[in-house]
Amino acid sequence: MKSHASSTLLEVRDLEVSFQGIETVTVLSGISFSIRESETLALVGETGCGKSVVAHTIMHLLPPESRVKGAVEFKGKNLLGLNEKEMTKIRGKEIAIIFQDPSLALNPVYSIGHQLAEPLRVHQKEKKKAALSRAAIALKCMSFENFSECINYYPSWCSGGMNQRFLIAASTMLNPALLIADEPSKGLDKKCVAELETELKKLKVERKTSLLLISHDLGFVQRLANRIAVMYAGEIIELADSSSVFEKPLHPYTRGLLNSLPEKGFIPIPGFSPPLNSPPLGCRFHPRCPLREKYCIQVHPELKEIDGRAVRCFLYP
Amino acid sequence: MFSISLRADHLSKTYGTGLLSRGRCIFREVSFEIKPGTTFGLMGPSGEGKTTLGRVIAGIEKPTEGTVYYNGSPLSGIKKTVHAAFRRRVQIMFQDPSDAFNPRKTIGNSVSEVLALFKVLGTEHASKTREMLMTIGLPEEVFFRYPSQLSGGQLQRLALGRILLLEPEYIVLDEPTSALDVSVQAQILHMLKKVQAEKNIGYLLISHDEVVIRFMSESCGLLENGRLKIIN
Amino acid sequence: MSQSACIEGSCMKEACVEENSEKRQEKPGFKLFGEVSFRSFRKHESSLALFNWISILLFTFFLFMAFFPSSLAPYAPEERFIPYEAPSGRHLLGTNDIGNDILSELVFGARISITVGFAAALISTLIGTVLGLCAGYFRGVLDELLMGFTDVVLVIPKIPLIIVLGAFLRPSIWILILVLGLLSWESTARVTRSKALQLREAGYVKSAQCMGFSPYHIMTSDIFPNIIHVLLPKFMLAIASAMISEASLSFLGLGDISLKSWGIMLSFAFFRGGFIRDMWWWYMPPGICITFCVLSIALVGFGLEAKEKEYSEEGANIS
Repeated sequence: MKSHASSTLLEVRDLEVSFQGIETVTVLSGISFSIRESETLALVGETGCGKSVVAHTIMHLLPPESRVKGAVEFKGKNLLGLNEKEMTKIRGKEIAIIFQDPSLALNPVYSIGHQLAEPLRVHQKEKKKAALSRAAIALKCMSFENFSECINYYPSWCSGGMNQRFLIAASTMLNPALLIADEPSKGLDKKCVAELETELKKLKVERKTSLLLISHDLGFVQRLANRIAVMYAGEIIELADSSSVFEKPLHPYTRGLLNSLPEKGFIPIPGFSPPLNSPPLGCRFHPRCPLREKYCIQVHPELKEIDGRAVRCFLYP
Repeated sequence: MFSISLRADHLSKTYGTGLLSRGRCIFREVSFEIKPGTTFGLMGPSGEGKTTLGRVIAGIEKPTEGTVYYNGSPLSGIKKTVHAAFRRRVQIMFQDPSDAFNPRKTIGNSVSEVLALFKVLGTEHASKTREMLMTIGLPEEVFFRYPSQLSGGQLQRLALGRILLLEPEYIVLDEPTSALDVSVQAQILHMLKKVQAEKNIGYLLISHDEVVIRFMSESCGLLENGRLKIIN
Repeated sequence: MSQSACIEGSCMKEACVEENSEKRQEKPGFKLFGEVSFRSFRKHESSLALFNWISILLFTFFLFMAFFPSSLAPYAPEERFIPYEAPSGRHLLGTNDIGNDILSELVFGARISITVGFAAALISTLIGTVLGLCAGYFRGVLDELLMGFTDVVLVIPKIPLIIVLGAFLRPSIWILILVLGLLSWESTARVTRSKALQLREAGYVKSAQCMGFSPYHIMTSDIFPNIIHVLLPKFMLAIASAMISEASLSFLGLGDISLKSWGIMLSFAFFRGGFIRDMWWWYMPPGICITFCVLSIALVGFGLEAKEKEYSEEGANIS
């Protein structure tokens, strides 16, 4: 979905990513979306649909056996064309990323303060004391009351939710324009997820950071996202603003996802997501679609724009 | 009084008691009952001891005090042969599906060793496994795969399938869907309900998610500060 | 119902790949460090591979020497010729003090040295594995007892023990193997124990316990296969260490002189006048053989260890 060029922060066009191994697997087949300044876009889909690969492509974190086609433009610059040195200047400072398991991203042998101060020491070449005090201030902004004690905590002493908030503090200390959150709520219990949500909301409102939120949980995303892109088997099958997706979902898969939510009674979608090395011919969702027609089995639908939304389904020609 | 149920009677668990330390009390005076074919939901914040209580009920950990009664007979201080019979009837399914199978064995091997343990005849292996696959809705090809090649949802189904081979009467479900996607969670919960209705199995469902508990359970309890409060 | 497309093999593969990329990055600000070390690892990978191949080839050569000595040795080792001869066309490494061809002795000596190393390593690995598994799996009192016993054995000195035994018994190769094997299982036991402690908490072990499998079955079928890749490098290094110990003991005269290992050859070379007469063709070859054989075994062991590390870094799922 194209948006007004003047305030577009990140634009992804026809992104195709494949991994060369014993067989070549095309993980992303033509992903296009854009994020404006201060906007939150949620990328929603089941595990294995390729949403994390989108995040890794933007950040140049793909393994060496990957092949990338298409364009990723950040503030007008083509990120895919940058070399490693230039990319490191952008990572952390302009685009930050937080991953799903906070305990994997935090080093257990260093204190929280030390790790928060790291980006400051590396990117801005600050001295240790100055960096630590700035870290303390960041924690205070992150609504930790006992922020001066938190500096000396170690990751193993704190809960998953707290660690995730430390990571957000660390990632946002240099005020990046874009924050990518890859499944930040996975494995956290309700209370921690609520804390995480408050934190992300604060970021949006106070610092006007754009957010690319990747999650499988429509409920978590509902309260935070301006627009939602639903992914299935490596493609975007629906893209619309948040309220439209929830009130009037167009694609049968989106409807199925909404029905699986606890509020709607945990109604499952039958079948399994297809393996990316051999997706079904025609529409990739057709084996599980209650509304499939003969046409859907043979022809692959394109992403069509209707009334400011986009959907990939023959129900809407 | 003889009753067909799995009953916890004043269970307590304390870790680390010794000569010098008083130990850490996980829970105290916990009593509740699970009737066959029903689900008892166990709620509570993370890390409060729900998993430990589940393990005590399943028999893989011993309580410091109190007893678990299976159909009226206590489980502590009984003969080994009786205990072995009980073993089969109360099983436990864990939260992390990728941890449920030995990563070095194919699924087929992991399943057939269970059948061999209960001395199921070689000729019956095939029919039993086919029946199991039908219940959980997976094709036969999964038997040739290693756990690392399957998704969380598929592994969780296979874990349930393997347990069902033992024909249990009660299953302790320790956060069965926390590690899964929301859409897969719906599939697993439906499968659990279907199996419960077909085989009249009682569940002890442990979860931090109130909505899941409400969807699945007839009665539930909240484990907080070491005490269980029954809510209906 | 489900079709053949149900198996999400490549989805999992993609997920595994994603996890790899995640795990490689520690913090947003420090990506440069991670990426650079990954790059230099790839550069070294090819030279490491070459190293590994050389050590495997060398080891295979020594094994061939041990299994088929007659194809390499020109004469039988007991055959006597003129003693103290210098290297010549007929005797490439000359002859020793009683006229045996040194090259033939060298080739036949491989068998003895490697056998002693292998046997001692086998005994120590077996004992270490069994004790470590039991200690790690059962824990509690058994664990304390076994680990205490391990510490006691650690303290016993090998060489003085052999000297004492040598004083009372006829020095024999089996005493050597037994002593070396029975006194070096400590580190294997500790490593096995810690791995067993880790593995016993895994979901599949707890499930197996719940289903009623016997501890013996769980240990052999669930825990042991997940330990093999750790044991194999330790076994190789144990062979290397046993061979060095045997060579040292034989050099000191505590070995079995009826079976001429490289260490015995060295011993004779020094004490029967080879050193004084500057007969480098007698005392250097056994030393070189011991060095290269032990080196190749140790390198194969390190290669296996590195492979195991790589294996476990690729994700706990696979290993």
